Amino acid sequence: MPPLLSFLNVSKRYPDGGREIAVLDRVSLEVEAGASVGILGTRRSGKSTLLRLAAGIALADSGSVCFDGRDIARMAGSERGRLLRGEIGFMSAADWRAIPGERVVDHVATSLGSEGLTMREARRRAMRVLDRVEIGAACAEESTMSLSLDERARVMLARALAREPRLLILDEPVLLPNLSERDSFNALLRAAASERAIALLMASEEMVALQGVTVMMSIADGELVSTEPRGVVVPLPGRRRSGAERSGQ
Amino acid sequence: MASVSPEKTRWMRGPSTPLRGALLGLLLERPGHGGDLANRLAARLGETWRVDTNDVYRLLEQLEKTGLAVSRDEPKRNNHSRTHLVYYPTEEASEALTLWMETLLPREPVRLGLQAKLSVAREEDAHRLLAALRAYERECLMLAQLVSPTNGSGRSWTSLCLDCTRDAVYAQLEVEITWASRTRQRINEFLERSQ
Repeated sequence: MPPLLSFLNVSKRYPDGGREIAVLDRVSLEVEAGASVGILGTRRSGKSTLLRLAAGIALADSGSVCFDGRDIARMAGSERGRLLRGEIGFMSAADWRAIPGERVVDHVATSLGSEGLTMREARRRAMRVLDRVEIGAACAEESTMSLSLDERARVMLARALAREPRLLILDEPVLLPNLSERDSFNALLRAAASERAIALLMASEEMVALQGVTVMMSIADGELVSTEPRGVVVPLPGRRRSGAERSGQ
Repeated sequence: MASVSPEKTRWMRGPSTPLRGALLGLLLERPGHGGDLANRLAARLGETWRVDTNDVYRLLEQLEKTGLAVSRDEPKRNNHSRTHLVYYPTEEASEALTLWMETLLPREPVRLGLQAKLSVAREEDAHRLLAALRAYERECLMLAQLVSPTNGSGRSWTSLCLDCTRDAVYAQLEVEITWASRTRQRINEFLERSQ
């Protein structure tokens, strides 16, 4: 069975004035179903580019990115779009796009537009998932503009979970000033992913946002360092690794 | 790294390996007497390292015993009637330094070892340093996975304290990983510029 997500020798370059910068340099990794992977990196380390390639939002210059054995670059644009609206969820804490006056439940329900549900069914599913992220019925009827930062993060998570993705990609998962709120959001995210066997791929500048992941990686200058053999294989949760020194990366 | 005879790594055993390695690097740059080497070592490693001149003499003797340095009694520059011991690297010294650059010694404070290596690294050691930095980063990432705080799942005072204790280690590891990856980036950028 192919891994859920795989990168094989993926490189990505961006123009910078008269030259080109390698943002990712021959990166290889695999994410199995249900695994959780945290990537630690500073700004401009290449982590957001890696996540955008994983989600099919951007395409690699060389190498291949495959989801469930299918090469994302070979998919038609519409198929990639369906993938991102269905099997892959993408969440960025800086990407809050609520419409003024919109109710929370509708904000989540409208994200299900491509699922072929009636608005009533979509609202019902939205209420279920809002309940899972501990947003009560009363809050679900409120305007999105009245939400606290913590509630916003939970609603964004609900939107991502509502489409029942198999892989959830999170860029800077949570930017909450309150540490206990951040901890409880992290716990909620892990629990929700574990219940639904959703694989998590997340990146942050802060390691505290990645706590509890089964595999940790770091990225600098587009080069990935992983705790896994060959720097690529990501195990199912609970698999033990030997502490032996690995070479080859 | 290919397998190396234990004889060649014997000098790396025991405490103070980072300082012995750094001294060897300095000797290869330029021979010197104990006081001169102690000053150069202090200047190279920075004020956070405690470099004791007596320790430097002891470490130089150890290098001599293991065949990596030789000393000669030579007249002092400013007082020819008096002499002091000047240390020179032997033919084996360069290979020994290369080997040290490639060796990750798990029982030493690794960060200190890496700092010492960086302080005397030759340009040809760049790839050895990159490999050592990646290995160190990987070690820290593995430790971070093990000591990850419990996500605040417990609500008692005891569980809070336990979490804070783990967080102390977690935060320190984060700093180490950030430092190692930044150093990797700097070396890579240098290599790119030199091409």
